[in-house]
Amino acid sequence: MTAVFYYMATTSIASAILAVTRKNPVHSMLWVLALFMHVAGIFLLLGAQFLAAVQVIVYAGAILIFYLFVLMLLDLPDEETRPRFGVHWPFAAAIGLSFAALAWLAKVETLDPIGVGEDPPLASLSDVGTALFRPFALPFEIAGLVLLAAIVGAVVLARRRVES
Amino acid sequence: MSEHAGDVQALSAILFAIGVFGFLARRNIILMLVSVEIMLNAVNLSLAGFSQQLNNPSGQILALFVIAVAAAEAGIGLGLLIALNRNKPGSGVTDLTKLKW
Repeated sequence: MTAVFYYMATTSIASAILAVTRKNPVHSMLWVLALFMHVAGIFLLLGAQFLAAVQVIVYAGAILIFYLFVLMLLDLPDEETRPRFGVHWPFAAAIGLSFAALAWLAKVETLDPIGVGEDPPLASLSDVGTALFRPFALPFEIAGLVLLAAIVGAVVLARRRVES
Repeated sequence: MSEHAGDVQALSAILFAIGVFGFLARRNIILMLVSVEIMLNAVNLSLAGFSQQLNNPSGQILALFVIAVAAAEAGIGLGLLIALNRNKPGSGVTDLTKLKW
């Protein structure tokens, strides 16, 4: 189990680094797909089966394909010739590294595992569904409203205005 | 699996840092939006890790809401990008200086 986790972790870190550094945007998207699949595997290891399924179906299946559609819809012929990073990229790298270092310190200092020894029962699909429809019913409906607003907003924004 | 609690948070932090770097350094709007997705995914990983560590399914529910908001954000962001591309082709942020003083 540990070896599987470390394989997933190293592969997802490598995919993420490749995704943000590749010159060709389509290659970046494919590395992000690899990242999402491996994160879904880590969700499975963490006992979040429903989250893993949603990750594959919604993230890899819908959102990433949506990005690929838009990427191929917009013709970007000069994308490969221009510099991939802005001139200030060392500052961006410094900010990213300092954030990682900060979080690493937080892990070492305070994150002792709770309840080592006993194996906690995993949250099953019915637990997630019951929680979603009982205590979290109002946020669930609000999420539906947010998605409806996003659908209408995307159509309004991307619509071609006809001059009458 | 409990001994992985800190490792999951560290992995989440590293992925978030990579997303921050990508968002700040890339000059292509689509890749900046994808970096935001990487950051949101790192947060989901952290939530799932805490959910498992504290044996509380609320973290998974919160991660589901994060995924819903990420889908909404992708739809609006790419709709804006298509509207922008109709007026000014190209997806580099360095071309968009009309609102700069």
